[in-house]
Amino acid sequence: MTALTRMRLAGFLRGGRVISPAIAVLVVLGIIYGGGASPASVAYGYSAAALFPVLAWQTKLLLDTEPDVQRRLARVAVRARREALAGVVAAAVLALLVCTLAMLAPWLFHGIDTTKAVLPGMLLGALAHLLAIPPAVALGALSSRAVTRSVRNGVAILVVSAVLVIVLGLQNSFAPWLVPPVMATARVLNDVTPPSATTLTLLVTWAALWCAATFATYAWLRRTRS
Amino acid sequence: MLFDGVWFRYGRRAAWTLRDVRATVEPGQTIVVLGRNGAGKSTLLQLAAGVLRPTRGAIAARPSVIGWVPERFPADQPFTARDYLHRMASLRGRAPSAADEWIERLLLTEHTTTRLGDLSKGTAQKVGLAQALITRPGLLILDEPWEGLDATARALIPGIVAEVTAAGGMALISDHRGEIENLPDAIHWSVADALVTPAELSSPAEPSSRVIIEIETSRAEADQAMAKLTAEGHRVLGVRDVAAEQPQSSRPRPDGTITPPETRADKAAAGSWNQDRP
Repeated sequence: MTALTRMRLAGFLRGGRVISPAIAVLVVLGIIYGGGASPASVAYGYSAAALFPVLAWQTKLLLDTEPDVQRRLARVAVRARREALAGVVAAAVLALLVCTLAMLAPWLFHGIDTTKAVLPGMLLGALAHLLAIPPAVALGALSSRAVTRSVRNGVAILVVSAVLVIVLGLQNSFAPWLVPPVMATARVLNDVTPPSATTLTLLVTWAALWCAATFATYAWLRRTRS
Repeated sequence: MLFDGVWFRYGRRAAWTLRDVRATVEPGQTIVVLGRNGAGKSTLLQLAAGVLRPTRGAIAARPSVIGWVPERFPADQPFTARDYLHRMASLRGRAPSAADEWIERLLLTEHTTTRLGDLSKGTAQKVGLAQALITRPGLLILDEPWEGLDATARALIPGIVAEVTAAGGMALISDHRGEIENLPDAIHWSVADALVTPAELSSPAEPSSRVIIEIETSRAEADQAMAKLTAEGHRVLGVRDVAAEQPQSSRPRPDGTITPPETRADKAAAGSWNQDRP
C-alpha cells in the first residue's frame, strides 16, 4: 500500500496538477495574513476553515489524476480495500504537508500577534487544521471520479458540499451536525476565552463521527465502483 | 475458478451485459473468449480479474495473484516505462528489479527511459503485458493481447501463456482477430446476447478443389473454344482482349484459388473479374 501511496503522490506532483491547488493555497494565505497580525488561535482557526475547500479539491484532483484503467490495475495488484485506502492516505499526507506550510506561512508575513499567548494558540491552531484534514479528504474522496463516474457530478458534489459546510456551519444553523465542525472550530478559536477541554472533546468527537460516516460511505461505494 | 450464476449490468436501469454465467476454469486451462465487439468479453474478463463486481452471483476460488492486461494500456501517466514497471513491481511487493526480466523478454530495453505517453501503441501494450507478469500470475487475463503488437511480440504471447498454464495457472484471453490458432489447446467460450456458452470452432476450410486456368486463343476460334469447354463441363468466366503486356506470374490465394496476374488490362477489368469469379 505504501508503494501505491508513493506512486499516486509522484503522479500528482510530476503531472503538474498540484499547481492549481498550490496557487489557491497561496491566495487563501495571502488574504488571511496580508491584512495584519492577529492572535495565533484566531489566525489558525480561520486558516483551517478557509483551507477546508481547497484541501477537499486537492484530494479530488489527486485521486482523479490517475487514469481509470490504471486505478483498476492497482486494484488488481493490491486488492480493492488497499487500493481505496492508498488514495486516501496519499491525499491525507499531502493535506498534512499543506497545513504545515500554512502554519509556518504567517511567520513569514508577520501575521501572528506575538504579544498574545503564542504556544497555546499554535497548539489550538494545529488541532483546528487536524480537524479539517480528515473531513476535507473524505469529501474530496466522495467527489472523486471513481465514485461519481463523471467529472461534472464530482465537481457538483464538491462545490455543493463545500458551500453547505460553510452555510450549515454558521452560528444558529438548524442542522450543524450535518457538516463537519470546521466553522464551529473557527468560532471557538476566535473566542476571547480559551476553549474548555469539554468543548475540544466535543469538537473532536463530532469530527470523528462525521468522518467515520463519510469514509464508511466512500468505502461502501468503492466496493462496486472501481 | 468458478463463475457461480454471475449476472452483471452497468446500471440499475441498464440492460444485462451478462446473464447467469455458470462456468469453471481449471488450473492449467487456457480459455479463449470469442464474441463480436460489445458482446461483453471485456466485462467478463474484468469480472474475472475482480475489477468489476457481479451484480448477482459470485466468482469463487479466484487465485491470489492475478495479472490483467487491459485492452488499452493507460499511457497518460508521468512515468518512464522503467519507472512505471519498477513501481508496479513494488505494488506487487517485489523488488523493483523484478520488472527487469520482463523488460528484456518483451524487448523493452531501448524504451525504458521513454515516457509512457511517448511510447507507440504496441510498445505501451508491451508495458501493460510486462506489469501483469512481474509476479507469476495464477490467473492471467489478456484482453485482446495482440492489439497493436508487432509480429515479434505477438509470437511471444503463446509461449508466455504456456508458461503460466504449465505452472498450474489459468489464462483467460479475449480475441476477435482470429489469433487463437496460436493457442491450439485452448478451450473456447462464446459471448453473445449476454450469455456465455461453449464455442465450437469450425475446422479450417479445406482448400478449394477448383482452380482457374487462363487460356489464350485466336479471336476467330474463341467462340468454338468456349463451346468446346462448356460442352466438357467447364465454366467460362469471361473473355477479354490480350494486352500488349504479357502476364508475369500467377499468385495463389489463401483459399486455394489462383488469381490471374494483374496486367494493366486486368486492372481495368478488375470489377468484372470480381463479379465473375465463382
